[in-house]
Amino acid sequence: MRFMMLMLPVGYEKAAPGAMPDAGAVSAMMKYNESLQKAGVLLALDGLHPPSMGARVSFSGGRPKVTDGPFTEAKEVLGGYWMIQVKSKEEAVEWASRCPASDNEVIEVRQVQEFSDFPADVKAAAAGFPDLQSGSRRGRSDLVHRHG
Amino acid sequence: MRFMIIVKADKNSEAGALPDEKILTEMGKFNEELVKAGVMLAAEGLHPSSKGARVKFSEGKQTVTDGPFTEAKELIAGFWLWRVKSKEEAIEWLKRAPFGGGAEVEVRQVFEADDFGAEFTPELREQEERLRAQMEQQKTS
Repeated sequence: MRFMMLMLPVGYEKAAPGAMPDAGAVSAMMKYNESLQKAGVLLALDGLHPPSMGARVSFSGGRPKVTDGPFTEAKEVLGGYWMIQVKSKEEAVEWASRCPASDNEVIEVRQVQEFSDFPADVKAAAAGFPDLQSGSRRGRSDLVHRHG
Repeated sequence: MRFMIIVKADKNSEAGALPDEKILTEMGKFNEELVKAGVMLAAEGLHPSSKGARVKFSEGKQTVTDGPFTEAKELIAGFWLWRVKSKEEAIEWLKRAPFGGGAEVEVRQVFEADDFGAEFTPELREQEERLRAQMEQQKTS
């Protein structure tokens, strides 16, 4: 089963554009990332720039309306995520609990939908989706090679 | 630049309702365009928060709460990861997504190693690149 661990950092909804985590926090988090990797559970991870650099698009009545960040009404925003492959929700929660998170931070643990979770009619309608996913993973792999 | 396109949960997604065939077909076409344009890096949907949990860190202690998180207004239903040249390009793509009434979607730039500057030391950078290479091996093996 795949799970996402969604990091909800305290106060990140108010972070200025260009805000960066400090080196000490990054170093501790990299150790944690490495422990996930060594255990063979880590599939993907990313950090997100502050919402003040982002945008929201709402589709009221099917028409897109763009609002630039920050999103002042938001009480919590996503700061980053890990995607892990584990045997149960309990194992995912166990991993989340080991994160070197700061005081009052929250990690939300959510199960990822697999194609096999869908009933037959949904599978038929979404037939090309696994191919799309594997295609996009190949794209990602190209990116890493170019980056390295 | 990479962007995470975060689709917010609503009553239907939180109730575990699956999209109907019409929406799946339209979304399938849109996804295919993204792949053809070389924009798509990942696309995932999440089960409702009722199947999830939250871990809160406070004074060195972890408190686990099982879902659903009815008080949370910012729940996530799924996301895309796109590679584009600018935030504007990401927004242009998103405007073409076949969302019906009420959907709200957030566009957020993903950190790259180069964004961190000198704080991201050669050692940390090397560690990061090793992690990503190993993750790719796991995915393709």
